[in-house]
Amino acid sequence: MAKKPKKNTTGLTRAQIKERTEAHPLAVPFLWLGKEKIIKNFIFVPLFGLIFFSLLGFKYPLHHPASWDFAFSYTLIGFAAYSFVVLMAWPLFKLLARDENYYGEEDND
Amino acid sequence: MINFLTSFSPAFILIAAGIVAAFTPLYQGRKFLMIAAPALVLVLINIMYLNGDADGALGGYFQVAGIELTTIRIDNISIIWGNIFAFAGILNGIFGLHEKCKITDTSALIYTGAGLGAVFAGDLITLFMFWELLALSSVFIVWRGGKESYPAGMRYLAMHILSGVLLLAGAVIYGKATGSYEFNNIGIDAPGGKLMLLAFGIKAGFPFLHNWIQDSYPKSSVTGTVILSVFTTKLAIYALLRGFAGTEILIYIGGVMTVFPVFFAVLENDLRKVLSYSLNNQLGFMVAGIGIGSSLALNGVAAHVVVDILFKGLLFMSMGAVLHRVGTAKASELGGLFRTMPLTTLFCLIGAGSISAFPMMGGFISKSMIIAAMFEGHHYIVFGMLLFASAGVLEHSGIKVPYFAFFSHDSGKRPKEAPWNMLVAMGIASFLCIYLAWPWGGEFVGFKGLYAMLPHDTTTGAAEFHPYTADHVVFQMQLLMGAMFAFTFLKRFGWYPPERRAQILDFDWTYRRLGLNLLKWIDAMWTRLGALIIYMLKTMFGRIGTRLYHVFSPAGALSQAAPSGIAAVFTAAMLAALLLGAYLF
Repeated sequence: MAKKPKKNTTGLTRAQIKERTEAHPLAVPFLWLGKEKIIKNFIFVPLFGLIFFSLLGFKYPLHHPASWDFAFSYTLIGFAAYSFVVLMAWPLFKLLARDENYYGEEDND
Repeated sequence: MINFLTSFSPAFILIAAGIVAAFTPLYQGRKFLMIAAPALVLVLINIMYLNGDADGALGGYFQVAGIELTTIRIDNISIIWGNIFAFAGILNGIFGLHEKCKITDTSALIYTGAGLGAVFAGDLITLFMFWELLALSSVFIVWRGGKESYPAGMRYLAMHILSGVLLLAGAVIYGKATGSYEFNNIGIDAPGGKLMLLAFGIKAGFPFLHNWIQDSYPKSSVTGTVILSVFTTKLAIYALLRGFAGTEILIYIGGVMTVFPVFFAVLENDLRKVLSYSLNNQLGFMVAGIGIGSSLALNGVAAHVVVDILFKGLLFMSMGAVLHRVGTAKASELGGLFRTMPLTTLFCLIGAGSISAFPMMGGFISKSMIIAAMFEGHHYIVFGMLLFASAGVLEHSGIKVPYFAFFSHDSGKRPKEAPWNMLVAMGIASFLCIYLAWPWGGEFVGFKGLYAMLPHDTTTGAAEFHPYTADHVVFQMQLLMGAMFAFTFLKRFGWYPPERRAQILDFDWTYRRLGLNLLKWIDAMWTRLGALIIYMLKTMFGRIGTRLYHVFSPAGALSQAAPSGIAAVFTAAMLAALLLGAYLF
């Protein structure tokens, strides 16, 4: 079983204290944003948003809909368009990516 | 007083300030000029506009080679560009306060002046002069990115000089044919119209002419990229709106411009290059709007120019701040910076939200006008392209830029927060991104204030538009939430491509690699051909010499004693030839 990190009197681990010390004072209340668990479960925020606004689409339909529009058509358009762009990056990268110094002009950063 | 003001273009104030800055050794003095000069111009142009008649303020007349130049035309269109250019000049000055570079300060002032001068140009010759000055002054800003930026600067200059030459050629043809050099609606079928459209297209980043943006902007300095992102492309949009509104081909060019950068932006690792593609994408919305040409679409274009300068500038500023503090803007090297740069993160998120057109943020109140006008114009395919591109914008500028720089995995980098002057500039831009989309308040508050500046009335008539209707907000949020869910979904299942260092080939491959290799091949072939010709000539003359030697030298055939019979035959043959010649001729 993995050993639990030791906590001191403040209830924080050494890593957490180090993170807080290094962080900007304004960022300290938001350090939870960097937690693995939060990042992994962030998917539920847009999921709930998506469901919420899709349902609202029934209550507030488009005033000037196109023939293909329905209550949550834009949800599908957004999801499909985004997925298409990102998934196309795989073959496009194979096709278009070259060594960084391909043109013989080094980058400035 | 007004007569005095309208005797010369306010752009000359900025150009003069730039020249003074070049001879000002104290950087505090230069920085003062960087902020005070555009602020003064902002006040002056509004005084001139408010004191003008129904057509606006006209003035600054000059006679050059028998042509009357109008260097001031401040009307209901040019005042929008003038205001935002002058304001952006002030923001750029604040953002660059930490930088002690005489060349950047001087070039930035002249560049801003040239942009304003071109916007206020009432004729094509004045436009051309400021058009060229814009190119010449801005290339020094590109070159401030270091020696690595030199080749990109040369390519940038070549493209812009070409644009200037095309503009001049078109203007001369147009002027000769129509007898007028006035810069009003030109149209693609007018004499020289196509040349001028191409000239404007180069600066606006039309497909296949766009690479100078992604080539040069990311290679400039931290401050340089922010300055460059404002003027050149937006001036081109102004020129297109003024000269080619309602030109149908622009609808399709604009549609393509919104879509193709999306695919390149997702591949790019350099976040400033991602933003350069994003710039191209936003220009596409504007070009498409100009193509429609309806009052609603043109209002959308003008509004989008204003908010785009603010949110795109803000995004470039935030990446500039990252580059300034970390030394790189490569996504693969960044991550987790929100821990030490929280304010920069916040400002970047506001810029990202604005460009993605979230309600209550800049892009929502302008982009939707263009999309609505496209739908009203029954251009359904391009309408679909714009919707697709809206989801794409969220990918590269809305999510990719802030996510990989400030969140994502922890890169372990703990840079300091951006300098105070950068934070102030970003703070002002962020405030305006929200304020200009603010739905509540009086007639000139929030988005209504921006709409009041637009050339056509938005409250009634053909350009009537109300962004905050329930259906518009709901369906826009559907689009954004659908796209955001796709990001988290693809990321969670490992289908989102990792950020990798690479050179992504674009159309510039045709001249940077194919064209260059073709020239090298022609050069090599020419060298070989030259050597072959020289060899052949040498051989030929050598053989002729040998033959002549064999005939005429002391040891040659003619020096030898010939038998009398052969001589008699030779003489008879010559006599026969002579007689034949005399008979025939």
